[in-house]
Amino acid sequence: MSGGYPAGEGFAEGDPLPLADAAPGGGVSPGLEARPPAQATLGTGGHMDGRSTEDVECSSCGALVGVWDRYCENCGTDLAPPVDSAGTPGYLTECPVCSADPEAPQGGITADGYCEVCGHKMPSDRDHVPVNLGVLAGLSDRGQRHARNEDAMALAISRSREKPPVAIAVVCDGVSTSPRPDEASLCAARAAVRVLLTGARMEDDPEQTSRAAVAAAFAALEQVAGPDGAPACTYASAVVDADSVTVCWLGDSRVYWLAAAADAAQPAVAPDATTRPVGAAQEWPVSKCLTKDDSLAAELVATGLLSEEEAMASPQAHVITQWLGADFPDYHPHVQRIGLSGPGAVLLCTDGLWNYRPEAGDLAALALPAGLTSPLDAATQLVKIANDEGGRDNITAVLVPFPPSTP
Amino acid sequence: MSQPGFTVDVDHNQYLPDGGRDVSAIATVVSDGAPAAGAVADNGGSAEIIIVDCSGSMDVPHSKIAQARAATAAAVDVVRDGVHFAVIAGTSFARPVYPPDGTMAVASPQARAEARQAVNGLRAGGGTAIGKWLQLASQVLRTSPATLRHAILLTDGRNQHETPAELATAISMCNGFFTCDCRGVGTDWEVSELRKISSALLGSVDIVPDPAGLAADFEAMMRNAMSKQVADVALRVWTPQQAEVRFVKQVAPTVEDLTARRVTSSAQLGDYPTGAWGPGESRDYHVGIRVQAGSVGQEMLAARISLVVNSQVLGQGLVRATWTDDEALSTRINSRVAHYTGQAELASAIQEGLEARKQGDEETATARLGRAVVLAKESGNEDTAKLLAKVVDVVDEATGTVRLKKKVDDADEMALDTRSTKTVRVRKEHV
Repeated sequence: MSGGYPAGEGFAEGDPLPLADAAPGGGVSPGLEARPPAQATLGTGGHMDGRSTEDVECSSCGALVGVWDRYCENCGTDLAPPVDSAGTPGYLTECPVCSADPEAPQGGITADGYCEVCGHKMPSDRDHVPVNLGVLAGLSDRGQRHARNEDAMALAISRSREKPPVAIAVVCDGVSTSPRPDEASLCAARAAVRVLLTGARMEDDPEQTSRAAVAAAFAALEQVAGPDGAPACTYASAVVDADSVTVCWLGDSRVYWLAAAADAAQPAVAPDATTRPVGAAQEWPVSKCLTKDDSLAAELVATGLLSEEEAMASPQAHVITQWLGADFPDYHPHVQRIGLSGPGAVLLCTDGLWNYRPEAGDLAALALPAGLTSPLDAATQLVKIANDEGGRDNITAVLVPFPPSTP
Repeated sequence: MSQPGFTVDVDHNQYLPDGGRDVSAIATVVSDGAPAAGAVADNGGSAEIIIVDCSGSMDVPHSKIAQARAATAAAVDVVRDGVHFAVIAGTSFARPVYPPDGTMAVASPQARAEARQAVNGLRAGGGTAIGKWLQLASQVLRTSPATLRHAILLTDGRNQHETPAELATAISMCNGFFTCDCRGVGTDWEVSELRKISSALLGSVDIVPDPAGLAADFEAMMRNAMSKQVADVALRVWTPQQAEVRFVKQVAPTVEDLTARRVTSSAQLGDYPTGAWGPGESRDYHVGIRVQAGSVGQEMLAARISLVVNSQVLGQGLVRATWTDDEALSTRINSRVAHYTGQAELASAIQEGLEARKQGDEETATARLGRAVVLAKESGNEDTAKLLAKVVDVVDEATGTVRLKKKVDDADEMALDTRSTKTVRVRKEHV
């Protein structure tokens, strides 16, 4: 899984590095810290004790690697791999239900996560997973009513010596009526984030990479389709660089722009993103939802038959018209690169969050300004609000402070 | 020696309301591999026995014994080279016909020719004690090391020269040792008697009203036996500690209640026998479990269904229970569970109706057979509907209003009885 990240600029000796915080309840996974360079003299590249000040140790094999290296020359490990919300294996060793009863016989837990004695499913290591990569952070939570967390998220950072980091996030929500939706969302998110990360590192066009990523996710779902049917999920990805976000989506998971400016609470009548040339930084003081749901409700609103409120309350509210799954090969992902100007943050989330707070302005008021410097705290706060109001669905929120920078 | 695997596909509504305890699921089990014509099975070898009734009634008319000889020869011709086989003649005793010393022959053109000659010498004369035939079959099969053991049993009459207890003892001795398909020729035999044998020995039972139909039937049975590759396959059901297995039934291709056949390894683990499987074979099972109620949002494994051969697990499916307060989810009725519940009821309605009719209880017979008509229509079981129409006059198909026919051909009544357990298959819908 993730190792320590190479030290970036702005670090003094002895400061803890931004570490991928993927274990439930927080805390550092043992053995995965990278150590700061001895006597970090910033930016000079001098040599001390025979080691470059820009060297760190590979989290896999311990060999020395340059801080900007992507792969360990010794063992080949990816030094800045994506992190997803799969949680840690071997999470529980005894059944909490049986342990609570002193009279009950104790048994083991099966490989697929059920107690051998009482049959209860073990709380999954996917139930509540925070991921903090510093540049961006997210939280995926099971909610209050569902037995499993069928949402998944995957986060990554592409770093380079000369340029600011590029933040990458993918959020997927398993379609409950398909088989193994939790498998679908995790598979799709993992496949896509890999392609997006490689594309960012190679400095490929982010719109093209986004298309390739969703195609890779589709191919992964074709692999997991079986006699029980085609596992399916929604899809939303964002590649955030210094002046834009490239959004790609299918279904009803959303990407928002949350503006930190004073009048961010005003509902948007923002210039149409498609008409603005890329790279031309415009003032964007208003928060806005950057995606349009592929759902019956959205179509009804678009044709003027229902208002947004009426549509959200109708039985069609959660019927999606596009999804990622082997049973829907004729899918058409939406891809858009949108120029941004901060300060603000990009928010990816599943409907377990936006059902409670659909308006961009409301989300901005809740997440900012704290989210600009502590995206994990802000994501946690958003998830808490959804849970407090009922948590009827799985809730996932990823925040990318803009422009992306190493904290 | 490679074992084929099995896929277990579980279909059910896993959602229970708050306090709900009953979980019902259909498990479709499919044996791996495509049926390969003429392939030599890579297994422990097959052994086949043909048991022919040679009681005096087989000469009345003479065509019965003549056709039985021809049918036995036809079945022997289908036995693959290398397979062990033998022929037994049954009266109030049982005697080996080929090989005459009570061992088994290894099939080859020579052995088959010798067998045909021996079978030509079969004559009718004597009584009927089927238990003794089964016992001899068992002894003969023990002389072979083969693991896939199967018999075809033909009779034309009632088990007059034995007590029911003696037959039952013989059946229980053979139980689990070999499978047996039973056929009754003509109409002087007892369906329930043969069904006791076929049910316990995991085989089929059917009527062949006209002796001329015996050869084709025997050939088909032997071909089916030659296609089997794995013997002694058990359906293993694991349940959590405080759960109860209410029933385990095979529901396709025929209904067979396996609940009482459980071989218990522990309070949580039981094996149900399913006999031998050929590649690409598919059967459906209906399993009912009662669990301790969980709380809303909790998920529990209600049962783990696996296929086991020689203590090796070759396929697995999970039956889950999730408690929810969403009524839309918990009140959904799984269509296959409903369908197969109806098919099982159809089989018992027919059998109860026919039994009542025999006992002269016309009221019960009319009610049960009327119910059967409704169920046959609802489930699209046209074959059974046609057989029912030969025993009752259907006044109203939808409400099940029927009148017992005054005159019913014995063959028609027995055909309905033997085929009452054949079900219509329902495929899983993909949402």
